[in-house]
Amino acid sequence: MAPALWSGSLSFGLVNVPVQLFSAVRDLDYHFRQLHEKDKAPIEQRRYCSEEAVEVAWEEIAHGYDLDGKQVIVNDDELASVQPRKTRTIDIEAFVHLAEVDPIYFDHPYFLVPAGDSKGTLRAYALLVEALARSERAALGRFVMRTKEYLALVRSRDGALALTTMRFADEVRPTKPVPSGGKKKPTKKQVDGAVAVIEELSTDWDPERYADCYRARLRRVIDAKRKRKKIAVPEPSREPSPAADLMEALERTLDEVRSR
Amino acid sequence: MAARSIWNGTVAFGLVNVPVKLYTATESMTVSFSGVHARDGARVEHRRICSKEDKEVPYDKVVKGYEVSEGKFVVLEKDEVKAAAGDRGKVIALDEFVDAAAIDPVFHDRTYYAGAGDAPEAYRLLHEALRRSGRAGMGRFTFHDREYLVALRAYDDVLALHTLRFHDEVVDVGDLDVPTPDQKPARKELDMAAKLVESLHQDFDPSAYEDTYRAAVLDLIKRKAKGEEIDLAEQEEPEHGDDLAAALQASLGS
Repeated sequence: MAPALWSGSLSFGLVNVPVQLFSAVRDLDYHFRQLHEKDKAPIEQRRYCSEEAVEVAWEEIAHGYDLDGKQVIVNDDELASVQPRKTRTIDIEAFVHLAEVDPIYFDHPYFLVPAGDSKGTLRAYALLVEALARSERAALGRFVMRTKEYLALVRSRDGALALTTMRFADEVRPTKPVPSGGKKKPTKKQVDGAVAVIEELSTDWDPERYADCYRARLRRVIDAKRKRKKIAVPEPSREPSPAADLMEALERTLDEVRSR
Repeated sequence: MAARSIWNGTVAFGLVNVPVKLYTATESMTVSFSGVHARDGARVEHRRICSKEDKEVPYDKVVKGYEVSEGKFVVLEKDEVKAAAGDRGKVIALDEFVDAAAIDPVFHDRTYYAGAGDAPEAYRLLHEALRRSGRAGMGRFTFHDREYLVALRAYDDVLALHTLRFHDEVVDVGDLDVPTPDQKPARKELDMAAKLVESLHQDFDPSAYEDTYRAAVLDLIKRKAKGEEIDLAEQEEPEHGDDLAAALQASLGS
């Protein structure tokens, strides 16, 4: 198992549960290296000082910030000094209904696993899993990982605690500037027809129905290229145009999905 | 937001085609720094150097290599990567619909707003039908030569397009070996925990949470700009109590 990304304690009132954080997703992408076309040698990224034209070692790099045209430089120690105190805890601030949290706020998913197997830790962990599952609530808290503070949502999932880092409200853009197609409402008949099409095409959410075709095709391209086969690049399909008569297109769709 | 779309295409809802324009829905506000040379404050540049020749390589002389064995690469041209993208047409066909609330948060990756294009009437209809049914339309979307699984649903007065992770990218809880306690939580403990959850219950209001760390970093930058000396304080660990019932009781303040 991969090493924990963070360890500390989940603080729930006066109950502290020692926990470790693991990513809930794994990277299955094919990764490429940049190569020099001529000799196929790997490209290295090196850091150079823009003024002296000398290579700069990691430890000689500081963080620069442009404050109204003036450059301010801070180092790692100074950045660490402004991390909130108690950086080894996830402090639960509130409980909310899980259903009220819009997925637009979700950032990265993790699991929280009890750290160690002391009886007290396991019991407190199990209690929180159970309490959240029964109440259909999620806990909102904050914690600091590496150099950033995160707002996190902790919920019960499959008998464990799942943690999702959350975007802050000002990181979600307002929908107001997005064109919404005006105020004209569709007719009842149109909406009934469209909902009927949706119901006909509805299925239970089952993530296993969907495979990453891109990843599979990329694998085939790599294998074909390895065997020095020619790679055919298909032409993109044409973009369809909107129907002249919306109701007629809807009725034809409904006929089609019902005859399947 | 200067409303500038990042992609234009068509959502195919059966034979009803709905032209849409995509906009990014989220942006990171984390304070970002650029690397500078500590000695002279000059910007640090990243240069591409050929590891064999020890010389800088211009971008148009860079190709993609997939390492099949130590030091052995299969080289892909840009066009060949496109062959993996699938149908690169500007269509998102909604093949099926699911209960939007049933998609576990763990699958959610990025969110975009899909705004109305040239057929506002069809757009309003799809929005209303998705809103009323509480369903999300499932489809595939090709962006920058990569195909994504997407869920399209009603959000506010517009459509939100979520890219989703694939099931094999999601870690199963069974892979983690979560140890279970010898005994289940006692009735009394569960009741107290339920009370504690209730006492700290709030309606979800995202604007109630500010990124205090971001504010602290910006404050640090301002203090540093004034030439202030920064105090490098130590941090402390929390205490960890072992009496669960007593800690719960004390948390409830009774």
